[in-house]
Amino acid sequence: MSERITRMQVPTEEMTITPGSACQGCGAALVSRLVFKALGPNVIRHSIPCCPDSVTKTPGVNSVFEAGGSALTGTARALKALGREDVIPVGFFGDGGVYDISFQSLSAAAERNENILVVCKDNEAYMNTGNQRSGASPKYSETSTTPVGPESRGKATPKKNIPAIFAAHGVPYIAIASIAFPEDLIAKINYAKKVKGFRLIIVQSPCPVGWRFDPSKTIETARTGVQTGVWPLYEIIDGSKFRLTYKPRELKPVSEYLKGQGRFRHMTDAEVAEIQERTTRNWEKFLKADEMGQVIL
Amino acid sequence: MTASRILAEAGYFDGKYSQAIPMYGTERRGAPLTAYLRFDDIRVRERELVHEPDIVIVLDPLISRRQSVADGLKKGGLLILNYPQPPQEVTVAGDFNVTTVDATKIALETLGRPITNTSILGAFSKVVGMPKLESIEKAILHSFPGKIGEMNVAAVRKSYEMVPPPIPAKKLDKPVKEEVSLQVGGFGVLKSVAEWRVFTPHINLDKCTGCRSCWLFCPETAINLVNNKPEIEYDKCKGCGICVNECPVKAIEFKRESA
Amino acid sequence: MHSEVMVGNKACAIAVKLARVQVASAYPVTPQTTITEYLSEMVANGEMKCEFVNAEGELSTQVIVQAASRVGARTFVCTSGPGQLYMHHPMHDTASRRAPVVMATVHRGNKGMQPDHTDLMSQMWTGWMQWYVENNQEILDTCLMAYRVAEDKRVRLPVAFGYDGYVLSYTAEPVEIPEQEEVDAFLPPYVPMPNILPDKADPASFGRGFGEELDPQVPWRMQHEALVKAKDVIKEVNEEYGKRFGRKYGDGLVEEYRCDGAEAVLVAMGSIAGTARASVDRLWDAGHRVGLVKLKCFIPFPNEDFQRIGGQVGAMGMVDRNVLMGMGGAGFTYLRNALYDFEDRPKILQFHAGLGGKEVKVTELVKAGEKTLRAAKGEKVASMVEWV
Repeated sequence: MSERITRMQVPTEEMTITPGSACQGCGAALVSRLVFKALGPNVIRHSIPCCPDSVTKTPGVNSVFEAGGSALTGTARALKALGREDVIPVGFFGDGGVYDISFQSLSAAAERNENILVVCKDNEAYMNTGNQRSGASPKYSETSTTPVGPESRGKATPKKNIPAIFAAHGVPYIAIASIAFPEDLIAKINYAKKVKGFRLIIVQSPCPVGWRFDPSKTIETARTGVQTGVWPLYEIIDGSKFRLTYKPRELKPVSEYLKGQGRFRHMTDAEVAEIQERTTRNWEKFLKADEMGQVIL
Repeated sequence: MTASRILAEAGYFDGKYSQAIPMYGTERRGAPLTAYLRFDDIRVRERELVHEPDIVIVLDPLISRRQSVADGLKKGGLLILNYPQPPQEVTVAGDFNVTTVDATKIALETLGRPITNTSILGAFSKVVGMPKLESIEKAILHSFPGKIGEMNVAAVRKSYEMVPPPIPAKKLDKPVKEEVSLQVGGFGVLKSVAEWRVFTPHINLDKCTGCRSCWLFCPETAINLVNNKPEIEYDKCKGCGICVNECPVKAIEFKRESA
Repeated sequence: MHSEVMVGNKACAIAVKLARVQVASAYPVTPQTTITEYLSEMVANGEMKCEFVNAEGELSTQVIVQAASRVGARTFVCTSGPGQLYMHHPMHDTASRRAPVVMATVHRGNKGMQPDHTDLMSQMWTGWMQWYVENNQEILDTCLMAYRVAEDKRVRLPVAFGYDGYVLSYTAEPVEIPEQEEVDAFLPPYVPMPNILPDKADPASFGRGFGEELDPQVPWRMQHEALVKAKDVIKEVNEEYGKRFGRKYGDGLVEEYRCDGAEAVLVAMGSIAGTARASVDRLWDAGHRVGLVKLKCFIPFPNEDFQRIGGQVGAMGMVDRNVLMGMGGAGFTYLRNALYDFEDRPKILQFHAGLGGKEVKVTELVKAGEKTLRAAKGEKVASMVEWV
C-alpha cells in the first residue's frame, strides 16, 4: 500500500518545462506537474492525442490514438531485451484514450501484465476537440454531443467503471487520486514506481472550459469532488485488496459539487437526488470494502 | 472567432456576401487567436488568409500595444483597438487611422466577464459604417438567444456610443522587431504567457505563512520558492487565480492587469 | 550452411531468428498463422532470444514493434489480408517516424482467403518500401537484406516484403540456410537514431518550442525523396549479399531473365514470376523472343531499370496480381509513368492474373507473351487490357 508523505516532503524539483500551451487553470497541467515530479527523470513518456497539458523533461514516444497500451508494451519489451528495465514506460493519457478508443489496447496489456505505468488524467470528456462526451462523462453532464434540450438531459448513462474493470483483470496496482490531495497522489506514484507489472492511476482533472467554472476554482472543484464522495480516493492491490486513502467522517451533499459547474446546472432536484443516492450507496460499499480490506465489485 | 462569425452574419443581413476564417490550430482558453473576415458584393471565392487587411480589430488590450498588429494593414486603413486609453495615446504607428474603446471595461460592466468579442462590434459598426447596428444585434441574438443575448446587445450598444472618431496614427520611425510571436498553437513551450492575463496575482509576503499551497497548486510552475517563501515568475503566469483562491490566509491580491 | 526442405513460413521464421530480432509481435491470420507458431516455439525452446508478444490484434502488433524499434530493439511483424488493412493507420506512423521495422506480408487478397497482391498494394500510401518475393529461398534472403536496407543510416525506413499465401507459405521446397556467424558478419547490431533512453536522449529534444513556421510540405517531400534514394542502398546490399552468400536477385530492384535479344518482355511480381520463367523458356523454344523482367522492388519504383529495358524492346506485358478498382493495375500504371517521357517508348499491355487466388498456368502466360510480342511487332491487338 502507498505510504503517506507530508507537504514538506513533496519534491521541489520541477519536471515540466513551462509555460506551456494549456488553458488558464488547467487541471491536467497540474496532474502532469505532480505526477512527473514524483516519477523523476528515468522514464519514457508515452502520449496519444489529448490536451497539451505540459511538456516534460523526458524522452517521449507518440503513438496513434487507439493503441496507447500497445506502444507502452513495445517499449517495455524493448527495455527488457536491452537489459534496461530500470527505465519506466509511462503512459500519460486522457480519459478519451483510457476509457474509449485505446481501451482495448490497455485491457490487452493488462491481461498480459506488461510492465507499464498508465496515468489517466480524467477530465471526463474529449476536451481537446471541443468537449464531446466520452465513456468517462458522468450521467447528466452536458457536453457538446450530449447537449440539454427537450429530448435530452445530457449524458444518459453513468461513468464507465474503469477501476472495477481493471481490478477484474487482477493487475498489481490501481489507484484513484486527486490534485486537491497532492501528497496522497505523490504517495501513490511512489508506490507504483516500486511495483512491477501493469499499474493504473486515475487522477481527476477538472477542466474550467468544459465543466464551466472559473479557472481559479480548479482545485476547489477537485476537493469538493472528493469531499462529496463523487471522486473517492482509494487503491486496489492485485485486483483484490482494497483501501480507502481518505475517509471524511461525513460526506458533503453532492449538490455542492454539482451546482459549482455549468455542465450540471440544468439538473432537477430529482436528478440531483438520484446522483446523491448512487453516490451514497457507492460510498457505503467502499466503507465496507475498506473495513474488510477486500474489493467488492 | 465568435466576433468574426457574428460580424460575417451581420454583414450578410445587410445584403453583403461574407467569409469568416479562423486561424486553424488548437484554441486555448486565454490564448491569442486570429480570425479573418471578408465582405464583398459578390460571393467570396479565394480561401487564402487575409494578408493585407483594410481593417484590423484587436480584442485584447495587452496585444493592442504590439506594433505587429498593424502588419500588412493597407495604407489609409483602419485599426480598431480594445484599449483603455484614447486614440491619441496609441503607440502602434503607421500610415493608417486608429480608434480605441475600452471593450474590456464594457464587458466587465455589462456581462460580468472580460469577454470582448461582441462588445467591440458596436464600435466597428459606428466607425466603419457597416454592418448596421440592427444587423449586429440580430446576429448576436441568433447565436445567443435569451438573457445572454440581451446582455451582449447592451454591450454592443455601449461601445457604439463610446467609440471616438478615428484619427491618423503616429508616424512609424523605424521598424520594430518583436521577440515573442503572437501565434499560439499545438503542443509546446512558449516564451511568455503574460499577455494571457486579465488579472494579475500579487503576493503580500507579510501575510504569507509559508504553507506552500500557492507553489504546490500552480499548474504552470509560475511560483518559485525563494527562502521558503513564494515568488511569482510573471512570464509563466496565465492569471488563472488558483493561487489567489487557495491561499488559506488570503495573502494574494488579484488586480486588473494595467495596459 | 545447410539445406532443408521447408515451407515458406518456416523460411521466414528462420530468417527472423538469424537476424537476431529482439522484439516481435503478430496476430494469427490465415495464411500467416504458422509464422507466429514457429516463432513462439523457437522462443519457448530457447532457440531464439526474442520478446515475442501475442498481441490482441494486428493494429496493436504494428504499434508494439514501432515503439520497440524507436526504443532500440530490432523488430519484426507479420500479417496477411484483413490484418494488413487493420494496421493501416499505424503503418503511416511507423514510416513517418523512420522506424526501421521489417514486415512480412503473406499475401491474402482483400476479397477472400486466397492470395493476390491487393493486401500489400493497398498500403502504397503509407511510406513503406514494398518488395515482392518469388520463392522460399528468396523469402529467407530478402528478410535478411531487408534489415540491412531499413537500418542503413541513409535510409531509416520500414520494409515490407510480400509472398503469396499457400503457393509459397505452405508449399515446401529446398532452402539453403546460412550459418549464424555468416549472418552476424552481414548484419551488425541495430542502433536506434535518435537514442531515446532517458540517460542517452538529447535534452534539447524535450520541449518543442515555437520558431519559424515550418513549410508543411517539407515532411512529405523528405520522406518521398528518401524512399527514392533508397534504391541505391538496395542495389548495394543486394550486391554484397551476392558476394557473401552466393545469391543475389538481379540488381536488387528487378531481375532480367532471357532478355538478351528479346523483342518483348513480360513483367511479373511474386510467385507468378516463377511460373513466367517456365513460360518464357517455352516461348524461346518456339522461336518467340520474349523475356521476363521480374519486378522485385515495387516501392521505390525502379524507373531507371525500366527506362533502360524499355529502350530495347517493342512491348512490355505487365502482369498485375492486383487492380486498383476504377483505375487499373498498379504495375501497369507506374510502368507507363516511368516510360512516358521517352520518344521510343514500348507499347505497354495490361494483364490481370491470379486475383482472388486464381491459378496462373504456364500456358496462359505463354499466350500473354505471344500477344505482347505481336504488339511489339506493330500488329493490332484486340485490347490492351486483358483478364487472364
